[in-house]
Amino acid sequence: MAFHRGQKVEIFRKSEDEGWGEHMDQYIGRHGIITDPDTTKNDPDALIEVSVEGKGTHRFPQDCLRLLTA
Amino acid sequence: MPDIKCPVNQTLSGLREAIESGRLFNPRSRRIAEEILDLLTDVAWGRAGSDHLAAIAALSDELAYDEASPGAMAAAKSIKDALGEHREVFQSHIETHNCATGDCVRLVPAPCQMTCPAGIDVPTYVNLIGLGHDAEAIEVIRKDNPFPWVCGLVCTRPCEFMCVRGRVDKPISIKFLKAFAAERALSDHRYRNPAQAPDKGQRVAVVGAGPGGMTAAYYLALKGYGVTVFEALPVAGGMMMLGIPRYRLPREVIDREVAMLEELGVKFKFNTRYGEHLSRESLQSENFEAVFLAIGAHQAFKLNIPGENDYPQVIEAIDFLRHVALGDRRAPGRRAVVVGGGNVAIDAARTCLRLGSEEVTIAYRRTRAEMPADVEELEQAEDEGIHIAFLTIPTGIRGTDGRLTGLNCLRAKLVQKDGSDRLFPVPEDGSDFVIETDCVISAIGQRVDLDCLADLSGLKWTRRQTIHTNTVSMETSTPGVFAGGDAVTGPATVVEAIGAGKRAAEAIDRFLSGIPQPKMPPVPVRRTRVEWIELPASTKMTLRRPEMPLLNLERRRTTFQQVELGYTENIVREEARRCLRCDICLRCGKCVEVCRDMMGINALEFGFLNFDHPGPTDFRVTAERCILCGACAANCPNQAIRIIDRGDERLLSYCGTILNRQKLEHCRTCGAVLGPQRYLEFLQKRTQTVSTVIADRNLCHSCLRRQSAGVHQENTPV
Repeated sequence: MAFHRGQKVEIFRKSEDEGWGEHMDQYIGRHGIITDPDTTKNDPDALIEVSVEGKGTHRFPQDCLRLLTA
Repeated sequence: MPDIKCPVNQTLSGLREAIESGRLFNPRSRRIAEEILDLLTDVAWGRAGSDHLAAIAALSDELAYDEASPGAMAAAKSIKDALGEHREVFQSHIETHNCATGDCVRLVPAPCQMTCPAGIDVPTYVNLIGLGHDAEAIEVIRKDNPFPWVCGLVCTRPCEFMCVRGRVDKPISIKFLKAFAAERALSDHRYRNPAQAPDKGQRVAVVGAGPGGMTAAYYLALKGYGVTVFEALPVAGGMMMLGIPRYRLPREVIDREVAMLEELGVKFKFNTRYGEHLSRESLQSENFEAVFLAIGAHQAFKLNIPGENDYPQVIEAIDFLRHVALGDRRAPGRRAVVVGGGNVAIDAARTCLRLGSEEVTIAYRRTRAEMPADVEELEQAEDEGIHIAFLTIPTGIRGTDGRLTGLNCLRAKLVQKDGSDRLFPVPEDGSDFVIETDCVISAIGQRVDLDCLADLSGLKWTRRQTIHTNTVSMETSTPGVFAGGDAVTGPATVVEAIGAGKRAAEAIDRFLSGIPQPKMPPVPVRRTRVEWIELPASTKMTLRRPEMPLLNLERRRTTFQQVELGYTENIVREEARRCLRCDICLRCGKCVEVCRDMMGINALEFGFLNFDHPGPTDFRVTAERCILCGACAANCPNQAIRIIDRGDERLLSYCGTILNRQKLEHCRTCGAVLGPQRYLEFLQKRTQTVSTVIADRNLCHSCLRRQSAGVHQENTPV
């Protein structure tokens, strides 16, 4: 899945990626908006920026995100 | 109901008051008290760790030791008492990041502020701009971001994606409002640095003069540290200066904001590269007690195609943009091909055009839908005449006599691979073609230059070849060395680097003061609560987000003049008034529920309250249905919705938007306010089965009771 700015996503699970910080566990199940996808390479491995509702903006591994249909 | 206060909040306020009152006159006591204040703030904001309470207790003991200062002893006692009596409340703040009383939660920021990687108090500055207080707005912004003008022009504006107004029509044009305010404040000579703390006598080295490095330098200088910024290039700005072309970000903008850092005493040493002119040892020998690495990601990826290294006309986009930024104005070729689909590719292509290239093509492997560049940038590039060759895979460079003549390509098709929903470009057999060109510019991404940091042998790297840090404190695996910006995230945004620089400054201050680092990322700080701007519901609904006027196409194709011309003052003030004030309305929906479910009126069409599935919103509908009963206002936990009697009218205001106004009726006997006619009719309807209406007379309860008493007296048998 290629993510784009403005898409709504859910952080639906914990990622095993090293980009997953311990404090991110609290974001599981929360919804957010992609604010900065990988703007250079469209790399499935890139950490992408998501603004999580009420929890601020963080970079997440893509395998923990899924698109929400509008 | 008893007014329960949060002990954390009370302790924090008490200590702050003690510090500000000057009762702690001993500098040592004051320093200790400030450290305790930092730790208590962590607790109040839900970002403290398990050792915070122990540290507060230990520091309180130290504070109490100052027997010569009754103020210090009293402050220490008050903190220790609060910790003793309410330890579980403090603990709960740390563990649950919540405050049961809501005292600490009153700092809950608006979605736009929460979204901003630098945590800028957006609603406050937007409304200050709406009121015409541009310099004050800039002052608020610079509490979290020392580069408001830069960000006003090039920020990727995550705040606008989260803007609640976007669920009604279009988000507030936050970015451009910021640019306007910065320009105006500078022009009026009212763009000033805040007061600096006294010199701490400690030095910090910042490696890299990009947005992250300079932000850290700014906040460290404000805290009283001596800061020197070492930069490999001859100018400050990093990617802002070298990667973003002038037509998007004029150099003067960066220069003016960098000058504000110099005014604070931040020293810059240019042409000084880490790993070549600098090392950890040399910094230590110069008494730098902490280092912040913000070296960026300046090394370009190679295309890895035959011929790439054989022709000098194959260049890397980041080098090309750097040379142009440093003064090279030669066109790279009459016909230029840029390979890549990101923002850097677009910047390189538009720069070629401005330097005189007649044909500029961007070759991208996928389709428009997958292109990672910003949509606006792409549209502007196409307007200027840049051709985008989608589904094009470069396979080799061709040339004769050492001169490049073309780029061999294959046509691609997108296919889905097993186990992935992502589309991958696969070459189509026999689809070879050549794009004739004089130069090929590769823009397929950048990475961090690992080699320059070789002397930091203990430095841990991620598998993405970026510096591994604690994302909360920006600490690296080497004590005393912090890192942030693109060197940590990979190529990212200016505002993200600014946010990292600010966090790093905070962490370095803690490191040098010997106090624990927070365990959670900082919660953005509400700087103040500006009074809302009043306007009618119809105006709130009909104001539209303005289009940004652009430079004419001919000038865009031939000069580096700024493309976006900025808003006029009137437009700026009006645009700011579209703000819904989400810093006041927490979108809990209680007002809608009580109006619909309890009162049965359903006058509040607030579809924007729902994040996932926003419904229709129309503030004008309220005036049609609302009876001004005040149930919504009474149930609003944050006084976002209010009932106000003004003159002979009753108004319903939602964060300054006048949803309804009705003429007030008065008691015909004593003149007391009864409410609007619509409300009285509602009451009559509701009570007609249990009480008779006394003719058509409007009477208040007292007069009604008096009259009824008279009637009872007359009718009561003796």
